[in-house]
Amino acid sequence: MELLVLIKPVPDPETRLRPNAAGTDLDTDGVKWVLTGYDESAVEQALLLKEAIPGSKVRAIAFGPAPRTEEILRSALALGCDAATWVEQPKDAAGDPMLAAEALAAACQNVPFDLILSGKQALDDEAGLVGPAVAERLGVADYGPVVDLRWDAAANQFTFARAIEGGLERMVAPPPLVVGLQQAWNDPRTAKLQNVLKARRIAIDKVTWANPPPGVGPAAPGTHVAAFRLPPPRTGAKMIEYKTPEEAAQKLVRLLREEAKTLP
Amino acid sequence: MTGPVFVIVELRNGAPVRSSLEALGAGRRLAGPPGTTPVIALLLGSAVESAAAHVAERGADQVLTIVDPRFDSFQAAVWSAAITALAQELGVIAVLLAGTAHGRQLVGRLAARWGAAAVTGIADISISNDGAMLAVRPVFSGRALQEVRVDAPRVVLGLRPNAFPPPEPSGSKAPVLAHATPELGKLPALGHVSGFETAQSASGPDLSEATVIVSGGRGLKGPENFRMLDELAASLGGAVGASRAVTDSGWKPAALQIGQTGRTVSPQLYIAIGISGAIQHLVGMISSRTIVAINSDPGAPIFKVADYGIVGDLFQIVPALTSEVRRVRGS
Ligand SMILES: Cc1cc2nc3c(=O)[nH]c(=O)nc-3n(C[C@H](O)[C@H](O)[C@H](O)COP(=O)(O)OP(=O)(O)OC[C@H]3O[C@@H](n4cnc5c(N)ncnc54)[C@H](O)[C@@H]3O)c2cc1C
Ligand SMILES: Nc1ncnc2c1ncn2[C@@H]1O[C@H](COP(=O)(O)O)[C@@H](O)[C@H]1O
Repeated sequence: MELLVLIKPVPDPETRLRPNAAGTDLDTDGVKWVLTGYDESAVEQALLLKEAIPGSKVRAIAFGPAPRTEEILRSALALGCDAATWVEQPKDAAGDPMLAAEALAAACQNVPFDLILSGKQALDDEAGLVGPAVAERLGVADYGPVVDLRWDAAANQFTFARAIEGGLERMVAPPPLVVGLQQAWNDPRTAKLQNVLKARRIAIDKVTWANPPPGVGPAAPGTHVAAFRLPPPRTGAKMIEYKTPEEAAQKLVRLLREEAKTLP
Repeated sequence: MTGPVFVIVELRNGAPVRSSLEALGAGRRLAGPPGTTPVIALLLGSAVESAAAHVAERGADQVLTIVDPRFDSFQAAVWSAAITALAQELGVIAVLLAGTAHGRQLVGRLAARWGAAAVTGIADISISNDGAMLAVRPVFSGRALQEVRVDAPRVVLGLRPNAFPPPEPSGSKAPVLAHATPELGKLPALGHVSGFETAQSASGPDLSEATVIVSGGRGLKGPENFRMLDELAASLGGAVGASRAVTDSGWKPAALQIGQTGRTVSPQLYIAIGISGAIQHLVGMISSRTIVAINSDPGAPIFKVADYGIVGDLFQIVPALTSEVRRVRGS
C-alpha cells in the first residue's frame, strides 16, 4: 500500500505569540517549528497502517520554505516514514491554504497512492481547507474528520468513522482516498536516537513548484490577511465574594444574566 | 454586491441544524436588508419539505430544494459538484456553510471546484467602506485573531458555531422552489455510511454545538460526582466536558476531552469546575465568550483567563448553582 501523509511545520504550541511589525502575521523571529497536533496524528496513523499491511510505504510531503520544511520532513523520516517530498515554497508566496493545496496536489500527481492522510486542520491557521482541496484537484473522494481508520484486506476497502455532531458515522470506502485525521493519540511515538541519525542520510526529493498561478505573490488569490492581532488580554476574573454557597450562586447568576448576558 | 448569496442548510432527522440557522443569520447580515442582495437557502436530500418551510420564515428571500436521495448522506464530492453547478447557473457570489463537521469538510473542496476563495472558522463578518468583505477568524486556538479581506469575485465562507444569532421567524414566508438535480459530471469512487453510533453523552447537545459547557476536572474526585455536573448542564440546556486528567482516569470517555489533544470548543458560557487551567486545557476553550471558574485554590491559573471566579468547595457551590439556575429559569 502506498501511503502519503501531508505535514505542515507549525509554531511550537508553547510559542508566545507576537504580531509582526506590519501587524499582518505572526512574528516568526525565534519561533521553533514542529510537527504537532493533527499532523502528528496523521503520521502516527500512516505508520500504524504500514505496520499492519505488509509491503506498505509511507511518504511524507510538505510545502513550505527552507529550512523549517526540510526539518519537519526529517522528523517524519525519523519516526519511520520511508521517503519524503519537499515542495519548496517561493520566498514571497503567501502561506494561503488554497495555494498550498494546489502545490501539494501537483506533487501528489506524480507519485502513486492508495491513501493520502492529512490533519483535520493545521494548528496555526486552523483552516481545514488543504485536504479536501487536494482531493478535488486529484479527483478522489475525501472524508473527515476521521477516527478509527483500518484496512480491511478481505474486502479491499478502508473502514473508519467520521466524528460528527452527536456521534460517530461508520463508513467503508475503497482506495484511492483522502482523509483528514481528527484522532489524537495521547502518546504518539517518539523518534529513537539511532533513527534520527539514520533519517539524516535519507535523500529528500525536492521539487520546485513550477506553476504558481498568475498573480501569486505576497497576496494570495482573492484573500489576504489584513490584520493579525492578539485578542484583548483577559484581565483576570472578577472574584465573587460570598458568605454562603447560595449567595455565591445568586451573585454569579445575576452577573451572567445582567452583565455578561450569556445565561440562556 | 451583485448576485445572490447561498446558504447551505444541513439537516439532522429532517430538521435544520442550529449552525445552519446561524448561517442564515450571517447571510442576512452580509446581504443587507431583504430586497437588496437575495439570500437563497439551499436544501438537498429526499425529505426536505418541512425543513424548507421552517427556513422560509427565517431570513431567506428564497428557498431552493433539490429532492434527490443521492444527497441523503453527506459526500463532499457529490455536494460540491451540485453546488458548483447551481452557483454557476444562478451567478452566486458567496456560499455560506455551517460550522458543523460536514460543513467544514465541504469548504475546501467546493472552493477548489468552483474556483473561489475560501475562509473558514469565521466569528464575525462585515463589509468595509470600499465594499470588500472582512472576516474575523480566531487562529492558534483562539490565542490570536486574523482579519481576512476578501477581494475575490466568488467566495466560500465557513462559519464558527455559536458566532451568529439564528434569525427569529420573520412573519413572512419566502417562496420554496424545487430545482432539478444539476449535471454532476464524473464522480470519483465513493465510500458509504455503514452505521451510526450515538455518543455516550447523548442526553445534551454535542460539545461543538453547545451554547453552554459545564466542564469537570480532577477536583471532582471520582466519576460518580459527575452526576452533579450533568444536573447543572441539564438546568442550563448545556453539555458536559472534561479535562484530560478526567478522561485519562477513565471517568469520562475521551470524546469529551477539551484541550490540545482533545476538542476545541467556543460556547457562549464555559464553566470550569475543579480544573486547574493548564495551558493544554486552555487552548481548547479560551475562545469561549464567558468563562466561569470554580476552584478551591485561589492561585489556580484558570482564574487568570476566567471572567468570573468563585473560590470555594465545588461540592457546595455546584448544587447551590444548579438550584439557583433552576429557580431563575423556572425549570
Ligand atoms: C502533550 C500534552 C497534551 C495535553 N492535552 C491536554 C488536553 O487536551 N486537555 C487537558 O485538559 N489537559 C491536557 N494535558 C494535561 C494538562 O497538562 C493537565 O495535566 C490537565 O489539564 C489537568 O487536569 P485538571 O485540571 O482536571 O487536574 P489538576 O491539574 O489536578 O487540577 C484539579 C483542580 O481541582 C481543584 N480542586 C480540587 N478539589 C476541589 C474542590 N473540592 N473544589 C473545587 N476545586 C477543587 C484543585 O485546586 C485543582 O486546581 C496535556 C498534557 C500534555 C503534556
Ligand atoms: N504547507 C503544507 N504542507 C503540507 N501539508 C499541509 C500544508 N498545509 C496544510 N497541510 C495539511 O493539511 C491539513 C490542514 O491544513 P489547513 O487547511 O491549513 O488547516 C494539515 O493538517 C496538513 O496535514
